[in-house]
Amino acid sequence: MAGASMKDIKLRIRSVESTMQITKAMQLVASSKLRGARARMEASKPYMKVARTAVWDIALHNTGAQSHYVIPREIRQRCYIVIAGDRGLAGSYNANMFKRIEWDSRDAMCCVIPIGRKAIEYYSHGRMSIITSAEKVEGLTLEACGDIARRILESYDAGEYDEIVLAYTSFVSVLLQKTKLKPLLPLDVRDAPERTSRQMLCEPGADALLKDFLPQYLAGLIYSAACDSFASEQAARRVAMDSATKNASEMIENLSLRYNRARQSSITQELTEIVAGAEY
Amino acid sequence: MALIHLKIVTPQGQFFDADAQRVMVRTTGGDVAILPHHIDYSAALAEVGQARVTDANGQIRRGEVQGGLLHVSNDDVQVITNHFRWKDE
Repeated sequence: MAGASMKDIKLRIRSVESTMQITKAMQLVASSKLRGARARMEASKPYMKVARTAVWDIALHNTGAQSHYVIPREIRQRCYIVIAGDRGLAGSYNANMFKRIEWDSRDAMCCVIPIGRKAIEYYSHGRMSIITSAEKVEGLTLEACGDIARRILESYDAGEYDEIVLAYTSFVSVLLQKTKLKPLLPLDVRDAPERTSRQMLCEPGADALLKDFLPQYLAGLIYSAACDSFASEQAARRVAMDSATKNASEMIENLSLRYNRARQSSITQELTEIVAGAEY
Repeated sequence: MALIHLKIVTPQGQFFDADAQRVMVRTTGGDVAILPHHIDYSAALAEVGQARVTDANGQIRRGEVQGGLLHVSNDDVQVITNHFRWKDE
């Protein structure tokens, strides 16, 4: 009886051990990818800052804030660009994003541009229709972002959507990532600083300039959000796999204890039997 | 001597962030050189063009620019482009 249970315990220890090997390996992969992802994320930050100020300058002070990219419309149809993960096993990284969108999208008709395989899977059978998508967040190129940006601008110009929102996860630290919703269009100019200086010269014309630069600007925004999200995904996975590895080693410890107890008690029992047999 | 503060940024990274004497880039309207005390100015950059930067020491560096925007605001000059590459690298 004791023997069978010893064997069961040993089997369980072995299976937990192999799971732990996998989680440990995933953790290592995630930490090495995180390093590269963070570097890319940091590299894209100066562009965002500089480009945003430039767009604000042009949009606010040269078109007299009368451009249709600036004036908010009544929201009937909203389009989300959702950047989620390529893979699962990253804690609540993907679920957090989808939940946030569900919550945010209650008040309007919505459609979605999923980026990342998990996002495509999630939205392929939901109530929101998919306009276009990108399969991979890892290695998403600026050109692919440009295609998406041109697509949404065309639709926005045609009045198909009244608002375009970029949903991504912002990397705060390895332990903290925050889902963020950032309105892309109409341009969010609430944070724009008051421009004090003189008239500005635009070539060729502020409207033309804005129309020309917006696709690039939006592509840059999507690209940098994708870098940010990818870093967050790796960080989330690293933390999730770290705690999985810890849990596994704790389980192995408990199981080993149980195994040794079972072994000890079977020896004791055998001894008792032998001693009992020798007395008669 | 008056200098401009030049930044050259792409989504992949920042390539220049320092004082400079002048910068010349190709806009859709033709080559434009920006010197200190320029009026506030924005222009679309040509799809393919060259940038010539004269840094604070008078050294000239050339780079390739692929589209984007030139933005001048109060002697802060920004070249915002998709791709940039120094020719000497």
